[in-house]
Amino acid sequence: MIRLLTYWTLVIGFQVLVLNHLDISSYIYPQVFVVLLLTLPLHLKKTYQFLIGFGLGLIMDLFIYSPGIHMSACLWFIAIRMIILERQDLKEHANNKSAYSIKTAGFSPFYYTTLILILFYHFYVLWIDGIGNMQVEHMILTGFSSSLLSLTIIGVFQALSLNRFE
Amino acid sequence: MLFVVLQIICGFLIFSLNPYQQATFSKLALGITASINKLSSNVYSYLDLKNQNSWLQDQISEQFRESYPQSFIYLNDTFHIKDTAKRPLFDAIPAQVVFNTAFKVNNVFIINKGSNHGIKKNMGVISSQGVAGIILSSNENYSTAMSLLNTNMKIIPYINGQEYYTEILWDNTKINSLKINRINKLERVKIGDVVSTGNSSLLFPKGIPIGHVSKITNKPKSQFFELEVKTATNFRNLEYVFVIFNNEYSNLKKLLSND
Repeated sequence: MIRLLTYWTLVIGFQVLVLNHLDISSYIYPQVFVVLLLTLPLHLKKTYQFLIGFGLGLIMDLFIYSPGIHMSACLWFIAIRMIILERQDLKEHANNKSAYSIKTAGFSPFYYTTLILILFYHFYVLWIDGIGNMQVEHMILTGFSSSLLSLTIIGVFQALSLNRFE
Repeated sequence: MLFVVLQIICGFLIFSLNPYQQATFSKLALGITASINKLSSNVYSYLDLKNQNSWLQDQISEQFRESYPQSFIYLNDTFHIKDTAKRPLFDAIPAQVVFNTAFKVNNVFIINKGSNHGIKKNMGVISSQGVAGIILSSNENYSTAMSLLNTNMKIIPYINGQEYYTEILWDNTKINSLKINRINKLERVKIGDVVSTGNSSLLFPKGIPIGHVSKITNKPKSQFFELEVKTATNFRNLEYVFVIFNNEYSNLKKLLSND
């Protein structure tokens, strides 16, 4: 439990203290913390998943003062994740109370799920954030570049965890 | 269910605490409510058209009475009667056409006012554009009127301040088009001249348009022009009319018959 809390704290800390303050370009706005939602244990009830998503979004909103935006995005993230995971054969891993990862799902399904969810999450946040001041080109460029960076970081996380398991 | 509830909370937070989103939401909400209000206003206006029409007809009736006051009122100092009302000679009773023909040889139309409303045979009927016909018969609530587009209809034309002792006729050749024969070629009549009612009718006040001259045929070996008159009233879509009530019709008729 402590290990899990430490992991969550580190990821959230990495997001709010490092990634949220990246000053590389206005087109880079990676949201890596969603890996916490992506890798939630497979046996968790839907209600808990939604509540965790809501809570994590609330934490992110509190740090960057974007009331409701990350909460809403996290809820959609969880909902889409549920739909995608229902199509993957993960019953055995769910019974083993495993988390969703490259190890449990395999490389291709995990990569495909992560790609969809990360792209969705970034574009959804940018879209909601841009309401009233929408700049489509900026949104598309930021969406793709931030998603790419997030995917890379998540990939590294997964590779590290995979190495550790092996 | 939980997802929906949580999303509603998020939506509330997004659109109430983020300034851009709040402004956009307010603008959108204003646009939507304005559209709904406009729609409901249009629907209400449409539903209220009947009342509006009725009100407009009353207004036109009132205007009609005020438009023909001078020669039709008793003057107090002439009669030396203290309470003599300045009663107009003509009144207009608004009515709606419930049946109308325009394609027959002898066209008639039926209006939704009858003897209960004071309508009798031989009253003039006008539309807001001009002369429409003459009442033929009435029952309690409905009356039949002979349309201008009726071969039995005869009105003496008044053109350019002059009454011509001929008649306007419908010869059943063209809808909304009448004929005037026997206009002397010495008369200065031109296309566009307004043809209206004159002084020789007890049914209509002077100056109600019948139509305008649309064609002048100069027949060789004849001393008369043949005029084509486009009716002021469009009989294809005749809907609202006014029955002209001559308050002194019986007295005047009696005087004329004595002569």
